[in-house]
Amino acid sequence: MAKLLAIPYTVKIQKRTYITRKVSISITFLSLILAFLVVGLIFIFMGINPVDVYYHITMVFSSPTLLFESFKRAIPIGLAALGLSIAFRMNFWNIGAEGQMYMGMFASTGIVLLHLYYGLIPDYLVMFLMMLAAFITGGLWCSLPAFLKIKMKVNEILTTLMMNYVAMYFVDFLIYGPWRDPKGYGFPLSAPFPDYAKLVMLLGEFAYTGLLLLSLTAALVYVILKYTKLGFELKIVGESIDTARYAGINLSKVITLGGFLSGGVAGLGGLTIVSGIIGRLRPRASPGYGYTAIIVVLLSSLNPWLIIPVSIFFGGLFVAGDILQAALKIPGAAVEICQASIFLFIIVGEFIKRYRIMIVQKGGIE
Amino acid sequence: MSVEWIEQVLQLTVQMGTVYLLASLGEIYAERSGVLNLGLEGTMIMGAATSFIFSLAYGHFAAIIMSIIVGALMGFILSILVVDMKLNQVIVGLALTMLGIGLSGFITFPEIRKNLLLRLNPYLPQEILATQQSEKLPEIPIPLLSDIPILGKMFFSHNILVYFSLIASLIMWFILFKTSIGLTIRSVGENPSMADSLGVNVYLVRRVTVILSGAFASLAGAYFFIGFHPFWREEVTAGRGFIALALVILATWNPLRAILGAYLFGGVETFQYRLQLFGLGAQSPYFLAMLPYIVTIITLIIISTESIKKRLGAPASLGIPYSREE
Repeated sequence: MAKLLAIPYTVKIQKRTYITRKVSISITFLSLILAFLVVGLIFIFMGINPVDVYYHITMVFSSPTLLFESFKRAIPIGLAALGLSIAFRMNFWNIGAEGQMYMGMFASTGIVLLHLYYGLIPDYLVMFLMMLAAFITGGLWCSLPAFLKIKMKVNEILTTLMMNYVAMYFVDFLIYGPWRDPKGYGFPLSAPFPDYAKLVMLLGEFAYTGLLLLSLTAALVYVILKYTKLGFELKIVGESIDTARYAGINLSKVITLGGFLSGGVAGLGGLTIVSGIIGRLRPRASPGYGYTAIIVVLLSSLNPWLIIPVSIFFGGLFVAGDILQAALKIPGAAVEICQASIFLFIIVGEFIKRYRIMIVQKGGIE
Repeated sequence: MSVEWIEQVLQLTVQMGTVYLLASLGEIYAERSGVLNLGLEGTMIMGAATSFIFSLAYGHFAAIIMSIIVGALMGFILSILVVDMKLNQVIVGLALTMLGIGLSGFITFPEIRKNLLLRLNPYLPQEILATQQSEKLPEIPIPLLSDIPILGKMFFSHNILVYFSLIASLIMWFILFKTSIGLTIRSVGENPSMADSLGVNVYLVRRVTVILSGAFASLAGAYFFIGFHPFWREEVTAGRGFIALALVILATWNPLRAILGAYLFGGVETFQYRLQLFGLGAQSPYFLAMLPYIVTIITLIIISTESIKKRLGAPASLGIPYSREE
């Protein structure tokens, strides 16, 4: 067994010094096409006609109503991705966007229920407080692992991942327990949000408000990363933590604050789910938007502007999944396959962009 | 609380814990050699799906063998991407998990299942196609030993994979700490460039351990499905692969401690269901479900202290790809 695995060829990998923009973009597109081809092969193996699947996916992006629906899904994905772009910039592997979104949902629903049950807050303040609470709660949920990383060298990958589940079960607990709507016939749903707690202020459609919110956040993230001292420090921390230390950057402050911003923006994404898409809180309200956001960030190479179209694309995939399930009786997992396949091919593509691969026979010319 | 009740709970604890134990055994080796296999959850669910389909098509033996092969294959893919291409272990692992969840999701639909089954075995009897119900692995009580009160039920009346998991953890502990192979694996995880200069093929060692972790994770999935809970639904493993990942840390990369940790987590989960049966604490299941994750976070914090880290032998270069300086 072990002998077999010692492949008689060595793969030599050299760093590329230069790559043109054209080549880089075409590699990305090539990986996308390859990803869909591989997905097609999987469909054929499962006895599904891949052309049907492709047709439904393209339909999502050509029909106005469905595209509109994709915009809606893109908003939480995009916000989570914007949050992640801050964390990834400083080389902080936050894979807890899902949990931070759940904390955002928890906080914004909490404000609504405080208002509905106790009437502590005037109507016009509700939305503002919801946003604030979602941002702070999501932010705190992420600054804890950031703090643990810088103070005690705790691996952030595992803590953020584990905290996703803690957040999800916490929301489950609230919804099956104290936050269940007393008038909801026992369904695990919170009370429906009143209109002023919903993100439908612009032209009566959530998609517009959401896109505006998304673009504003993207602009803000862009400005913070590019033009502020914090953004500069985040970048240095991301390049080398030792350099940052020698440069006299206050590491614990920068990393904790960066984590806070990252989780906060993801928390806002959670808010858009409950007060935009659903209009109330329910368990498992996010079908993995937080994980999709990781693909989105990598695909848009941390560029806040690119995140918007890329998340619309992935939002569209989610819509396509629902349609496939309804129209063709294909499991929703079909979308997950597309996502995973795109994910894998994109990372391999990134590798090819950075390195030149040469296959050399062992014992040959060294 | 009668004796039967206690016996039943303990038996279920061990059966539930075996899922975590099997998955964590391979992962311990992978992490000891310096690779974090975050694709554990995806590999596990693929194992469950494979065992479902193959147990219907060709029976239990084929199901176990095939799920091991599928898991090894997923481990192989991960090893190419992570060890040879040095891609980010977190990202590749997550991608593989998504892939596993997506691929296994297909068989949720009976039509697709039927297509697959007929493709695998055209002579499949009609009644299996109609019911599509997997049989559970048979329990093999060990004579005499299984008659001991409490302990008999707890350790000696299970299916073959439970016994296997216990024997495997003993053997794997022995190999890891008492043989030169184990020393090699640990040295690769501790200081790969040193190991390389001593003539160890770092890439080969990591490739093998990652494939091993895939095979074990997949076997854990197969055990979970045909050995414990043979009813398919989408995302049937429900994040148990991530709990196994947590268990590896709780066990501080030691196969023997993994047994204790696995039964602890298994016990928590069994208790969760038992409490619900009693109607006790309608709120508590969610907090109990959080427990493994919270325990892990606390363990992570404790073992991240420099002195404790040294004493427990946490692999120093975990998650860092090795590339030879040329």
